[in-house]
Amino acid sequence: MNAGEGGASQTTLLQSGLELRSRLVLDEGLSRIDAHTRSRLNQARQAAVAAAARPSWLARFHGALTRRMVMPATGAAAAVALVAVFMLNSGGHHLAAVTDNPANALDVLDLVTDDDAMHLMEDNDGSFYEWAAAQGDGAGQGVGQNAGEATT
Amino acid sequence: MGAFASLAPAYNMPATSRGDTLLNDTSAAQSRALNQFLASVELKAYKIAQAGLRHQDDALDAVQDAMLQLARAYANRPEAEWKPLFYRILENRIRDMQRRRTVRGRVMAWMPFRRDEDDDDADPIAQAPSHDLPPVARLELDEAMTALDAALQELPNRQRQAFLLRNLEGLDVAQTAQSMGCSEGSVKTHYFRALQALRLKLGDFEL
Repeated sequence: MNAGEGGASQTTLLQSGLELRSRLVLDEGLSRIDAHTRSRLNQARQAAVAAAARPSWLARFHGALTRRMVMPATGAAAAVALVAVFMLNSGGHHLAAVTDNPANALDVLDLVTDDDAMHLMEDNDGSFYEWAAAQGDGAGQGVGQNAGEATT
Repeated sequence: MGAFASLAPAYNMPATSRGDTLLNDTSAAQSRALNQFLASVELKAYKIAQAGLRHQDDALDAVQDAMLQLARAYANRPEAEWKPLFYRILENRIRDMQRRRTVRGRVMAWMPFRRDEDDDDADPIAQAPSHDLPPVARLELDEAMTALDAALQELPNRQRQAFLLRNLEGLDVAQTAQSMGCSEGSVKTHYFRALQALRLKLGDFEL
C-alpha cells in the first residue's frame, strides 16, 4: 500500500476526475437496466422479505420441505404405487407371501427403495417386475419341488 | 361508562394478545425496513454481480441468493450492518459461481456438442433501455459505458470489487473492507491499483 498512498497524493486530480466520470457512467448504467430485470429483482426482494417475516422454525421447515422432503415423498408415493400394482396383478396372494416370509418382505423393500427400480417403473417397465415376480414364484416352487424330491 | 371503558382493555386485550400485537408491529416494521433496504441496493447489486459474472441470469441468481440469505440469517441485526453484510454475502456468492463456472468450463471444453449459453439471453426487446436521450449524448454514453465495462472486465476481481463498491455503491473504506472481508489498507491498495489500471486503459475518459 505504500506505493499506492504516495502515488495517490500525486494524482489526486486525475483520479477524482476519473472517479466522477466513472460514477456518472455507472449511474447511467443503472438507469438503463431494463424493465424485465427490474421486475425479477422486485420478485426476488418480495421473496426475501417474505422469508424474513416467516418464523425461523417455519423457514427451516419450509426449506426442508422444499429441498429435502419433496424427493423422498415422491419416492414413497411411487413405492406405494409399485406395491399396489404388485398386489393387484397377483390377486392378493403376494401379500401373504410377503408377510409370511421376512426375506420376501426385505426383497420387496429393497426393490421399492432402489432408485434404479424407481426409474425403471417410471419408464413403464412394470412388465419386468411382473416377470421377475413370476420367476421368483416359479423358482420357489422349483426349489420346493426339488427339496421334496430330495427328501422322498 | 368511563370506569367500564377503563377496565375494558384489560378484558378485551389480554397480555398475550398485546404481546402478539407488538410482535406483529415489530415484524411489520422490520419487513418494511428490509424491503426499503433491498430496494435501495438491488440495482447496484445486480450491476456488481453482472460485472463479476457476465451473465444476466447468473447475476440475478446471485442477487436473489444474497437477498434471501440476508433476510433469513441477518434480518434481526441492526440495519446499519445490513449493507456490508449484504455485499459480503453477494461477493461470496459471485466468487462461488465464478469457481463453479470455471470447473464447468473445464468439463464442458471436453464435450463435443456444447453450445454457448450466452447466445440465448440476448433479447433486444427485454434489454432495451428504458429512457430517451438525444442521439449524440446517447452514443457518447454508450461508448463510455462500453469502454468502462471492458476496462472493468480486465481488472482482477478484488480490484473490480473495490472500485464498484466504492464508486457504484458509495461505500466508504471501512464498509468496503467489511464487505470484502479484508483490511482497510487492502481496500486502499485494491482501489488505487484499480484506478491506475483504469486510467491507463481509459485515459481521461472524457464524456
